[in-house]
Amino acid sequence: MICRMGHTNSIAVAIALAAALLVSGSALAHHSFQAEFDISKPVTLKGDVTKVEWVNPHVYLHIAVRDDKGAVTNWAFETLGPGRMRAEGMSKQTFGIGRTVTLKGYAARDGSKNLGFLRQVTFDDGHSIEVWLGDPDDVNP
Amino acid sequence: MKIATALLLVALAAPAFAQQHPDLSGIWIAGNRGIRPAGENASIKVLLPLEGVNQDKDNVFAALDRISVTERAKDQNKPPYKPELQAKVKDLEVRQSQEDPAFYCKPAGVPRMGPPAQIVQLPDKVVFLYATNLFRLIPIGAAHRADIDTSYMGDSVAKWDGDTLVVDVNNLNDDTWLGPDGYFHTEAMHVTERFTRNGDTMTYLVTVEDPNVFTRPWNMNPRTLRLGTRPLEEGPPCVEKDAEHLVTLDHH
Repeated sequence: MICRMGHTNSIAVAIALAAALLVSGSALAHHSFQAEFDISKPVTLKGDVTKVEWVNPHVYLHIAVRDDKGAVTNWAFETLGPGRMRAEGMSKQTFGIGRTVTLKGYAARDGSKNLGFLRQVTFDDGHSIEVWLGDPDDVNP
Repeated sequence: MKIATALLLVALAAPAFAQQHPDLSGIWIAGNRGIRPAGENASIKVLLPLEGVNQDKDNVFAALDRISVTERAKDQNKPPYKPELQAKVKDLEVRQSQEDPAFYCKPAGVPRMGPPAQIVQLPDKVVFLYATNLFRLIPIGAAHRADIDTSYMGDSVAKWDGDTLVVDVNNLNDDTWLGPDGYFHTEAMHVTERFTRNGDTMTYLVTVEDPNVFTRPWNMNPRTLRLGTRPLEEGPPCVEKDAEHLVTLDHH
């Protein structure tokens, strides 16, 4: 299920789709998110989008986070594959390279600093991109 | 006059001959979608559907693994491995994130790579194009080559069986699996692909034989392809970056 919400129009358009990851014949081997990321360790950061790695099997978003003293920390966040993103009309540009975002994600389990799984980026103009998992029937309005 | 008549007959006959077989040319979509245009600065929510899994209250990562593995386990059409190999398949399945060649960006190969995203049909050959930037040039009516090494896509030759194009594939290497559940094979594997067009859909059937590991030929689940219009794009490269960060053998 994919829901798209216009920025100024809250009417959600839902289309039932097969879950590509559930197809046993998938040519790309995806690793387990559970094996790498900790759902109990949410992170929220504000930073500038510095790079989008548009690669298989998973896209990576990089942001530079500046602390109060001006020191910059670079974070990498993994999300779903580029094929699914592309089918939704998304591309590297969609993630707004150079723009400031507030990012919600989940930290890596192995203790790697500055690595996480992306859930949502919200841009300074208020629009957002959320790429997530779950039952479409409990989509938050 | 006779020559002119003969030429006319040849001219009329040529297109008729060319039409003897269906034209499989086209962009074929196997489960993926056309692009939905994204408005600039429009909010987007993409949701990987997991029935009964709350987006905020449940561990959606664990649920994805659980549901994927459970759904595949329900499929009764499993490859018929010899009894003495079942334990090996199970072990490979458990250690998929360590052992699956495709996990580390090796080519999925035939048949795991699935049907082509686009077919270009010529009188003497078909060209299969894949979204992974791979291609197969398959002669129609030719014999297999005997002068090449085994490879991920092997050696393919085609023939017509009525309106069905039958692609015979041998010379495959053993560095691929047939799916994520430990489905290994040997270089004795022989694959037959069958393409039957029905208007704007195509049925894709695959039979896998490997007498070293199977007790009988295995017919993979049929797939129905739909004729599409979205131009084939260059696929992104495969860059494996996760293996060093995996802390368990969980997989989906």
